[in-house]
Amino acid sequence: MANMANMANSALAVLETALRERKLDRTLTTALPPLARTDPAAFIPFDHAAIDGLLGGMPRGQLSEIAGAPSSGRTTLLLQLIGAATRRGEIAALIDTCDRLDVAAASAAGIDFDRLLWIRGESFDSRSLSASPAERIVDRAVKALNLVLQAGGFALVAIDLADVPPRVLKGLPFTTWLRVQRIVEGSDTACLLVGPEPLARSANGLTVLCAGQTTWSASMHTRRLTGLDTRVRVVSPRRRVDGETRVEAIAEYDTPRH
Amino acid sequence: MFGALYAAEGTDRTALDAVAREFSPRVEACGPREITLDLSGVERLFGDARTIAAEMRRTAADRGVRVRVAIAATRSAARLFVHHRAGLTVIEAGREAEMLASLPLSLLGNVSNDSNVSNDRLSTLRQWGLRTLGDFAALPPDEVAARLGQAGVEWQRVARGEDQRPLVPAVPEERFEQTLDLEWPIEGIEPLSFVLGRLLEPLSAHLERRDRGAAVLHVRLHLVTRSIHERSLQLPAPMRDARTLRTLALLDLESHPPDAAIDRVTVAVDPTPGRVVQYSLLTRPLPSPEHLSTLAARLAALMGEGRCGSPVSVDSWRPGECAMKPFAPRDSALAPPKPSGEGGRPVVALRRFRMPIPVRVRVEEGRPVHVWIDPPAPSGLRRCVSSGRIEVASGPWRTSGAWWEGTLALPRRGEGNWDRDEWDVALSDGSTYRLFRERGAGLSRRSGAAAKAEWFVEGLVD
Repeated sequence: MANMANMANSALAVLETALRERKLDRTLTTALPPLARTDPAAFIPFDHAAIDGLLGGMPRGQLSEIAGAPSSGRTTLLLQLIGAATRRGEIAALIDTCDRLDVAAASAAGIDFDRLLWIRGESFDSRSLSASPAERIVDRAVKALNLVLQAGGFALVAIDLADVPPRVLKGLPFTTWLRVQRIVEGSDTACLLVGPEPLARSANGLTVLCAGQTTWSASMHTRRLTGLDTRVRVVSPRRRVDGETRVEAIAEYDTPRH
Repeated sequence: MFGALYAAEGTDRTALDAVAREFSPRVEACGPREITLDLSGVERLFGDARTIAAEMRRTAADRGVRVRVAIAATRSAARLFVHHRAGLTVIEAGREAEMLASLPLSLLGNVSNDSNVSNDRLSTLRQWGLRTLGDFAALPPDEVAARLGQAGVEWQRVARGEDQRPLVPAVPEERFEQTLDLEWPIEGIEPLSFVLGRLLEPLSAHLERRDRGAAVLHVRLHLVTRSIHERSLQLPAPMRDARTLRTLALLDLESHPPDAAIDRVTVAVDPTPGRVVQYSLLTRPLPSPEHLSTLAARLAALMGEGRCGSPVSVDSWRPGECAMKPFAPRDSALAPPKPSGEGGRPVVALRRFRMPIPVRVRVEEGRPVHVWIDPPAPSGLRRCVSSGRIEVASGPWRTSGAWWEGTLALPRRGEGNWDRDEWDVALSDGSTYRLFRERGAGLSRRSGAAAKAEWFVEGLVD
């Protein structure tokens, strides 16, 4: 029995030596150690008590995503995050794949336009004969995302893929998002995907699932849209964050005018 | 040794300057028709003073310029003689005061900077009975100072042919330009990239030596068709990095390529003082203007011109109207988080369809109850908008404007008048849209008939 233990130990030592010689004794790591979860500088806050209390904000140096069905509150959360970042003096970029941004809504969300780089794609619901197919539009948007990430200096880079058909998104090579993860890794940039369903995120990134419904005033004949009630569920197995909260958004015409 | 040139009336100033610079790099303009030169060391090239004077007059004549020439040991003496005497005048060194003594007193006014002061002073001197420079030079300096002040003493020294200050040479305008004639014509961006790199490296070094940056970059391509393809790039900030300038030039030429082969390339910049950058520990650093301009150029090449920048709110009631401006963030101190909206609550966002999507709507008792898209619509179109029963409808909210503009058959972005009733509708699948009905289409609001090309989906509440 002792001989077998000795043989096992020596075999283990030989194996460890061989791995060390070939530099296979550790996994791939980033140049900088990841910021501790408790460090406020590691996140971009939403400026919303419920969401920030649940996850602290969108993590920097990671690829995260916001997914949900139409009218679930994805765009509301996206504009809330961009507004929070720009109000803090940081710059953000939005790759608007299908050119959906409503400038009035963005202004109501408090976005500092001087600090937002808006990259407008082409709406593939265009009835123009010269409209590009959806695959080419998404391909250009992904290339624009890579250009912005490689340029650096942006606190938040978001790509809005919410109106892209899922079959087109699934047709993207899986290495697409791996490359994006490698670019943002170790940087101060938070990269965010907004899509119809969960698509990709880095190991320490977040998946935020939205489910919501609009709220209306009670009267039948003078009924009007008063807001959007979103249930936000956060999934991140690696960071052991899993929770749910509610976000109540108000209609633009109910915000105080300045 | 100094020389003075005095040109005839109507002489081109540039030509006079060119004549002077053929004999000396140190020249000073003393008036619209007068120029003085420092001729130190020129004797070794041209010979004695009289030979130099003759050569200057001959050179000026070759250029079509008629000049008087005077050479003396001092600037003041040369200037006084060139105003007094036509032709060539050479004064021996050390004899300036003697030669100037018989010249009229009025010459001092010709070499003075302020004509009003000189007229008053000359009038005073004449009242004293003085007529020549020699008369004035003979007065005791302390008596002149007591009556005319220090300026009078300086005038007296000029009358003796003495200089009050050294010649201040005019610096010629420096050009930041590089040109390369190619041995054989080139086509395409790749070979042009090497040529631009070769031209921009020394240009960048030149800018750095002068502490200048490039405000505008000009690229002139001489084509084999004898035409010139010229591009000018307005840079967002002064820059002189050769790689950045080359990248910007290439990205621009990719979008605006020449239509023939190139046999000569010229690169020039409009210089501006270099940018002073001071970093702060209190602000998050922004990307440099070089990075941002390169990024903007790459994005413009990828997405198209006018598709990248910062959004701008437009003072208009037209639904969805907006504009764009170049992305140019400014440094500012990081501010603490501020809540948005009312009490920090987010504001509901709308995903706007730039081209409103035509839909069919069934109306009952003046309210929309069902919406769907025609089957022939593209599949991408169908997926953007759901079809189904309308659970909740809010409206109509009437909006109109630009009545002075024409009516368009189909609503186009930013054009034409609009007159519509808007509805916020929630469908049975949970999605909420903003619909509008064009009131100009003129169909009945009563139930039953579905409207054609009258209803549109403007956006999705999300």
